[in-house]
Amino acid sequence: MSALLRAELIKLRTTRTFAALAGVALATSMLITGLEAALDDPSESTVLVDVFTSDTSGLFILVLAIVGISGEWRHRTITSSLLAAPARVRFLIAKTLAFAAAGLLLSLLVSLAISILGSAILDSRGMPVPAAGELVEQGARNALVAALFGAFGVGIGGLVRNQPVAIVGVLMMSFVFEPGLIALEPDVAKFGPFASLPLGIQDIPPELIGWDTEIFDTLPATLLMLAWIGIFFAVTAILLRTRDVE
Amino acid sequence: MGTAIEIDGVSKRFGKVEAVRDLSFSVEAGRVTGFLGPNGAGKSTTLRILLGLVHQNAGSATFGGRRYEELPHPSSHVGVVLEDASFHPGRTARNHLRILATAGRHPLSRVDEVLERVGLSDAANRRVKGYSMGMRQRLAIAAALLGDPDVLILDEPANGLDPPGIRWMRELVRAEAARGSAVLISSHLLAEVAQSVDDVVVISHGTLRAAGPLESVLGSSEGPTTRVRARDLDRLAQTLRAKGFEPEPDGDGGLLVRAEPEAVGAIAAEGQVALSELVRVSRSLEDAFLELTGEAA
Repeated sequence: MSALLRAELIKLRTTRTFAALAGVALATSMLITGLEAALDDPSESTVLVDVFTSDTSGLFILVLAIVGISGEWRHRTITSSLLAAPARVRFLIAKTLAFAAAGLLLSLLVSLAISILGSAILDSRGMPVPAAGELVEQGARNALVAALFGAFGVGIGGLVRNQPVAIVGVLMMSFVFEPGLIALEPDVAKFGPFASLPLGIQDIPPELIGWDTEIFDTLPATLLMLAWIGIFFAVTAILLRTRDVE
Repeated sequence: MGTAIEIDGVSKRFGKVEAVRDLSFSVEAGRVTGFLGPNGAGKSTTLRILLGLVHQNAGSATFGGRRYEELPHPSSHVGVVLEDASFHPGRTARNHLRILATAGRHPLSRVDEVLERVGLSDAANRRVKGYSMGMRQRLAIAAALLGDPDVLILDEPANGLDPPGIRWMRELVRAEAARGSAVLISSHLLAEVAQSVDDVVVISHGTLRAAGPLESVLGSSEGPTTRVRARDLDRLAQTLRAKGFEPEPDGDGGLLVRAEPEAVGAIAAEGQVALSELVRVSRSLEDAFLELTGEAA
């Protein structure tokens, strides 16, 4: 498994897509954090959530994971991948772990960057700055979301192999359908993996983004997210095992 | 040297289409075997079944008794070039091979070795999207050689190669067979195959039409035929008829006899007829192929 995992990590590192999207994740996170820190007037109790939850790496690693696995079919590299790793479920596990690890590392890097930038700007404005421990905890929450999104993206991309459809579908779910469902059926929408559960894991109060509803706390939100990943992984694994690679 | 690949009663159906039907043949170590058939004959499906990429409906396809996915480190035993070998266009050749070497647990030093062997060292750090078809084919062959395998499966390996490349590929497969590897080449380039292979397997419509050493498959369906010439052709004809043969003019000053050259030569010697030519007549591989696959005009 370790060899397959290393191979998947090399795959990740050796295309421009990863570098480009990771760069965009870092840039957008720093831009949002910089603007929040420069323009907002947070109190001591709200500064952490107001300024330091702008890590966009979760979204980008989700897209990267979808691109990563659906690209195996798009570029027809699935054949050489399965010739090197004929145990198809092990291949899927390796890919899932690789994108989870990539999400974790990318988010930690982004969290470090926005912590330094946000703290510096707030401090220069004489605004309250969160304690280091709080920043570390928030960074860990952000990283957990990104890791889970990395794994989730592999399940989605393995199931919906049409790359544009998968990416557009995920963006629509994240920004249109799930937020819309919050307004219509909040008791159902709080189980949503694209917006509600990540919010719970990051411990962001829903009212901060204008949601008048309750969401799950960190632990149940994490477990529910793992359940979503498990469902998508299981279906993808079954299809991968049974389908012919022509 | 032993059987390296065993296909036993393999059948595969795609919906209503029966792509392969009860197909059986074997590939021996130390020999190059040509796997021939017209387009749609079931060659690629058979190879993909052998490699565990396509699930057969019946039969077994094994390497030394083990299915591909049961081999401990498959790419150390089996090197593969499939017809539609594809690469991530944004990745360099070296990185493509690094990934395969890592996944297959081969030393990374093999990457540069195989790049050197296929003549791609100078282009190793270029992205594959800038490669010509021939360069991609060489890269696919490099990937197949990474694990120093004892079985090579090459589906249309000459695709995209220029004449020097084809010669290089021919020498490569002969060298691999000489060191004991089993080489299975699927190809539609019959003239090329004829120069490279020891054995042939011919399939058509998913069923086996012929299998065996090249010479035996090329031999006429009516038995061996010999072309013979002599200064005294009438006397030679009489001598052969006296021994029960029915020589026929070949239209070019010689005779065709349905017999092995050794037998014809012995009869001529016994009758004290001096021969100027004695040669076994084979069908061309193309003739044999068309006859066996039922596509002769």
